[in-house]
Amino acid sequence: MSTFVILFATAVLSFAIRSRSVLKLLVLAALLAAGYAAIDAVPLGLSHFGSDQAITLFEIVLLVVMAAVVLSEEENINITQTLFLGAASVALLESQSFLTFVLSFEALSIISFVLVSNIKNREAAIGAVKMFVSGALATALIVLGSAFYLFEGHDLNAPLQEVGVYGTVGLWIMLVGIFYKLTIVPMHTWAADSYAQIRPSHAAILSGMVKSVAVVGVFMTFMPFLLQQNSLNLPVLVMLALVTMTLGNFMALFQKQVGKILSYSSIAHAGYMLLAFVAVKSAYAPVAIFYIAIAYIFMQTALFMLLDKAGKGSSSVTLDDLKGLGTKDKTMALLFTVQLFSLAGIPLLAGFLSKAVLVYAVVDVGLPLVALATLLNSALSVAYYAWIVKHIYFDEPAKHSALGSLRVSGFAAQAILLSGTLYFGLFATTVFDLFV
Amino acid sequence: MGALYLIFLPIFLALPLYLLGRNFGVVKYIALTLFVYMLTQSVALYGQLPEAGYLDLGSYLSVPAFDFVLSLQVDRLSVIMLLLTSVMLILVGLSSWRMKMEDAYFALLVFFSGAIFGVFMSTNFLWFFIFWELTLIPMYFLVGIWGAEGRIYAAVKFFLYTHVASMLILLAFFLIYKQSGTFDMTMVKESMLMTPALIWWLMFVGFAVKMPLFPFHTWLPDAHVQAPAPVSALLAGVLLKMGAYAMIRMVILMMPEQAAAYGWVILSVGLVSLFFAGFMALHESHLKKMVAYSSISHMGLVAIAISTLSFDGLSAALFEMIGHAFIISPLFLIAGFIHHRTGSWQMGDMGGLMQRAPYLSALFVLSGLAALGLPGTMGFIGEITILISTIQAHGVWMIIILLGSMLAAGYLIYSFRRVIYGEMSPLIRESDFSMPKMEFLSLLLFGLLIIVFGLYPQPLFEMINQAFQSYFSAGGLS
Amino acid sequence: MTLTVLLLLPFVGALLTFIAGKMKASLAFWLAEVIGLILFAATLILFSSYTEPIVVNITWFSFGHNTLPFGIYIDHLSLVMLLIATGLGALDIHFAHDYMKEDPDQARYYAKVLFFIGGMILLVTAKELTALFVGWEFMGLASYLLISFWHQNSAPADAGVSAFLYTRFGDIFLFAALGLLFYYTGTLDLQKINALASNGAIDSGVSFVIAIFIFVAAIGKSGQFPLFPWLMRAMEGPTTVSALIHGATMVNSGIYIVARMFDFYVAADALVIVAAVASLSAFIGASSALVQSEIKKVLAYSTMSHLSLAFIGLGVGSLAAGMTHLTNHAVFKALLFLGAGAVIMSAHHTKDLWKFGGAYKMLTLVAIFMGIGALSLSGIPPLSGYFSKDAILVDSLVNPQTNGLISTLTIIAGLLSIAYIGRLWVLIFAGKPRDKALNEKMTTPSKFWISLPLGIMALVTIVLGFFQTPLAEYITGEAFEEVHLAYFAPLLLGTMALIAFVIYKFYLANTEARDKLAAQPLMKALHQLLFNGYYVERMITWFAKSVVVGFVARTIAWLEHHVVDGAVNATVGLSSAIVARLSQTHSHRISNQAGAMMLGALLIISILLIKGL
Repeated sequence: MSTFVILFATAVLSFAIRSRSVLKLLVLAALLAAGYAAIDAVPLGLSHFGSDQAITLFEIVLLVVMAAVVLSEEENINITQTLFLGAASVALLESQSFLTFVLSFEALSIISFVLVSNIKNREAAIGAVKMFVSGALATALIVLGSAFYLFEGHDLNAPLQEVGVYGTVGLWIMLVGIFYKLTIVPMHTWAADSYAQIRPSHAAILSGMVKSVAVVGVFMTFMPFLLQQNSLNLPVLVMLALVTMTLGNFMALFQKQVGKILSYSSIAHAGYMLLAFVAVKSAYAPVAIFYIAIAYIFMQTALFMLLDKAGKGSSSVTLDDLKGLGTKDKTMALLFTVQLFSLAGIPLLAGFLSKAVLVYAVVDVGLPLVALATLLNSALSVAYYAWIVKHIYFDEPAKHSALGSLRVSGFAAQAILLSGTLYFGLFATTVFDLFV
Repeated sequence: MGALYLIFLPIFLALPLYLLGRNFGVVKYIALTLFVYMLTQSVALYGQLPEAGYLDLGSYLSVPAFDFVLSLQVDRLSVIMLLLTSVMLILVGLSSWRMKMEDAYFALLVFFSGAIFGVFMSTNFLWFFIFWELTLIPMYFLVGIWGAEGRIYAAVKFFLYTHVASMLILLAFFLIYKQSGTFDMTMVKESMLMTPALIWWLMFVGFAVKMPLFPFHTWLPDAHVQAPAPVSALLAGVLLKMGAYAMIRMVILMMPEQAAAYGWVILSVGLVSLFFAGFMALHESHLKKMVAYSSISHMGLVAIAISTLSFDGLSAALFEMIGHAFIISPLFLIAGFIHHRTGSWQMGDMGGLMQRAPYLSALFVLSGLAALGLPGTMGFIGEITILISTIQAHGVWMIIILLGSMLAAGYLIYSFRRVIYGEMSPLIRESDFSMPKMEFLSLLLFGLLIIVFGLYPQPLFEMINQAFQSYFSAGGLS
Repeated sequence: MTLTVLLLLPFVGALLTFIAGKMKASLAFWLAEVIGLILFAATLILFSSYTEPIVVNITWFSFGHNTLPFGIYIDHLSLVMLLIATGLGALDIHFAHDYMKEDPDQARYYAKVLFFIGGMILLVTAKELTALFVGWEFMGLASYLLISFWHQNSAPADAGVSAFLYTRFGDIFLFAALGLLFYYTGTLDLQKINALASNGAIDSGVSFVIAIFIFVAAIGKSGQFPLFPWLMRAMEGPTTVSALIHGATMVNSGIYIVARMFDFYVAADALVIVAAVASLSAFIGASSALVQSEIKKVLAYSTMSHLSLAFIGLGVGSLAAGMTHLTNHAVFKALLFLGAGAVIMSAHHTKDLWKFGGAYKMLTLVAIFMGIGALSLSGIPPLSGYFSKDAILVDSLVNPQTNGLISTLTIIAGLLSIAYIGRLWVLIFAGKPRDKALNEKMTTPSKFWISLPLGIMALVTIVLGFFQTPLAEYITGEAFEEVHLAYFAPLLLGTMALIAFVIYKFYLANTEARDKLAAQPLMKALHQLLFNGYYVERMITWFAKSVVVGFVARTIAWLEHHVVDGAVNATVGLSSAIVARLSQTHSHRISNQAGAMMLGALLIISILLIKGL
């Protein structure tokens, strides 16, 4: 059985199980099996899907992260949604034709909506609606773009082909729609609000898992187009990337709510990731996009999940609440710090190496100034990450803040994610070897 | 593998020390043992060095596609830095003996020791950068948690400022790789580069922040002042040296042609630092800030010596770097101690310390005199060698650097007058100056080092001369 | 062996003395006394067994291509200086037994004194400029530490600061000269430099500049114009220190270094500058000494003036005159200072001249010995001071370069000696007690500890008078030709007698006339000018405090805080302004967000359209 099938089947099966521990056990076993399937590169079972080494690695990473998510999740329905999302992700990653790409991308979106519709309070409802409305627009754009593309007479059941004027316009309209999912400026506004309003554990899945998968899938699918129209795309992409990261970083600077900081940081990271699209001509671009996606999935998921635990499911944790965490809860403080530093691009952590490869790819295509702007942006981002750390360690504990704690399952999940961040910070070979 | 342990054992040991340390008071002994072990290992490494060139200690974690290899190689220059670092770590460890939350504190020191060894041992640009950045992390916490009242501003400023500078360095490294196809600093030659000037400037500015040189020095007074005294000593004794080391290794020795073309830049920046910081020190009534500016002023002197690009000048620079570490550190330690006991930074509040703590005062005077370059101390040897080598390189007008030492005499002697001599101020009268034994021991050792190498610098110079000989005898540089 | 003892014993001894003194206070003195005597004995051994210059080559360290030496060279000049340093050092330590008897910090005192003697020995036995500079600075340090010996009081602490800074200002010129000489000649060996200069191997312009640099250092160390104010303040230290360091030995080192490099100075044509500056100093010192009210300040200005005379001796081209005067002066000035110390001690640390008077009865021996010193200082034959001072005055007249203003100032300064020292002696010892209470409290000092060293020095002062020619020949190694001006000696002595009479009249016989004269406004102003040392200190202090610290340092601090660091801190304000602008673009309304998305999409597509399609 293929990874996709296992995930999908387990997801369906999970509706039938009430006991959470049984469900967790079952899902973990399923993830393990899926992992085996991924390693054996069992194809999806449908035509126009396929895998290679890189995809396999990414799928395994995905499964590991899902395991962590499932471990710490406390609602059955969320576990089910996660499995569905996993299935859709695998489909997106393995899709090799235009049609399969569009389908799995939309599937991913739809399941995301379902996930956030598990609404507990008013805030979360607003967040969900924003996400839904913007998502609807994006879908419209994607469909419009596809229409243009198909109008030029391209084959639906093939990878992207060389395009003419209409095709270019169509693919760009599609890209703009897709940028919604990737939270590129000006399609970012929903994310800035939603990520900070919905439940942090949902945000973990959306901004960590879904975004990483989407960015890899889009990159792989659009690579031929990006290469073909490189000279046309370059200035626009560079501009979008720089604007996105700069806006994200600046907006994150003076936020009080931790979720808000993380969501803007997530936008900034979208800007970094877009650089791989800019540097598509470099041999390092695929490595870079995979690396940053892998790194990002670990650190972003970990952080939002920590936030979920700290805020007991509420997204309203502020910097003031974190004050003195370093003395109150050594472990949680350390986990926060390591993952934040990884996001900031501090070495020996995955965040550094992935960003380094990405920036080098930009240097490689001869854009040192863009690289410099990116690096300075990254330095700017250190300001707010370090600022969170400052609250955790340097400040006196706040009097009446009652933060949640990790407990065993949460700790296990964090341990998994932490080892991912550390492993990919040290052993770059794992990623690089895939592209030799 | 031995070399790898020297770096990663401390880095990974830090975590359990931090998490498991429950104030049994064991962590500091473990840390000190580790530092002593690192010293012995450094000495052993020195013994194994070949006549010239590098000693290969192995390559690890190789990623050939990106030339991302943890290649550990040391030459004399780096081993001298390792020796200095481990001596400093031991002494700083001793003087931190009574720190609050000592487990976490020493865990961070241990982490720092691994990172700093990595900086001096790795010859791969990327790994060098990784360790370079990694040293920032423990420093951020050490300043931020254990610092004085303005610690947060200082820690964040220090972290951000130096991090921005690191970005320039990283870009330079990327450009080097792009143009030469290798991240190995022993392989890169200036002729391989297409835009050497751009790379030179990026690295120069990046390292100048760390040294620090005017106008990139303003993080230092804040960080040094707010940091706990032993950490100030560590910053001045090791972290700044990292900048100077990188400056010598990459900006000068690796790119001699650019260095020759822009030598005047280093020289002028060094001169401005020397005088600007000297006048700042003269202006300050804040004891530790005065010491901090004095530190910058002396690093200006190091830059001036580096700007000669000559065998003599670099030897002088390296000696001055070591001297600076041993001289400024006790000054910081004593200034911090005085503040700790009196609660004041203002020299105006003090006076008559000699009557309360004669030996402490004597050590303060000794280090101060060394800082102003009095013969018989390391400070003098540094100044005379720098004077001679800069005159040889830049001409006789370089005697103006002596005005810097006049300034130093001004602010140091004046600070003795305000802090140590004169009538006892109420603040000094009421404070308790009994110093813990370990802290005093560390000060005493600093004092001894200052005098011993000040009177008999030959052993140190033998190492230093050998370190640079190969670069200049091979015909690479003048 | 002797040499090793001579060079290392003071430093090792200083350490031992300190440790021993910390264990038992009285041990410090005895150890120091023994060490002082050993050093003197070692010098005597060297002196008696001397056949040719002792040369020891030592390499200090090499850096890069350069090697810095630290050799030893002892010739007649060094030996004379050694005899002065160790001989007077030993006597001074002996004297200190009583003088410092009640001080709780004896260990520190004797350790510092021994350290000082070590520095002096190092200075005069140096072969190269490196060792000389080390010794030079060691002495400066010892001087600083000893002036501030009573550090718990503000005045000595301040005095230490000015001593260090004034001399340090000179020292950096010596340091610079060291660098320049190494650059231009490739050697630091003083004999070689002399030889090179004599051969014309050094460009004369260069050597002139270097000579001036070295002279600036000498000015600082020997308290010449304009760097003399520290010497007056140094009187805050223990009198034994003033006697040894600020009267007899350290202040000579400026003269020594010019003498040591005499050939260099001749070749550099810089001697006239030396003479000119020194004559001005001599005049300032002598005239200011006239009006001082503190015993030690009179002696300090007198020291300044007489060191100037020695400089003038060198400056007019006579090594012999300069060095003999240095030697004579060292002895009689140590005698006068220690005598003053005895007086001050007997009077329970009263230093004001006007409170004494008629102390002859209690301090007979001291008065006699000080009288001998005063006569020698005044230049009364057949005491030693007469010969050397006379020679210098005559030489300054004979030398065509200095005949004129320089010689005039010199002669005035020479003549004024008798006035101020006569005034000093008269005010202390002669007449009736002005302060009865003080006079009754005065004690007679110990014969062995106080009078013996004074007696020895008085004896030497007398004896030296008969050995002037051999001394001069010993130092220069040439036959001594005395220049004679037939009319000069009678004229000089006649004027001196006249001055002595005036002093007698003013200070003993007819004090009312003096007071009337002093009440004149013009005289008052003049008195103030002289009393404050021509306001040189005030000017220098104004420059240092108001210009360097008050203006330059403050401007730089302003730049640092508002420009250099201001720019860094402005980034916070800048980014918050940017964020404020950016926040305005962010709307929380769903309709706005959707609109923005569509607008953005349109924008991107239109840019692309315009660009390339």
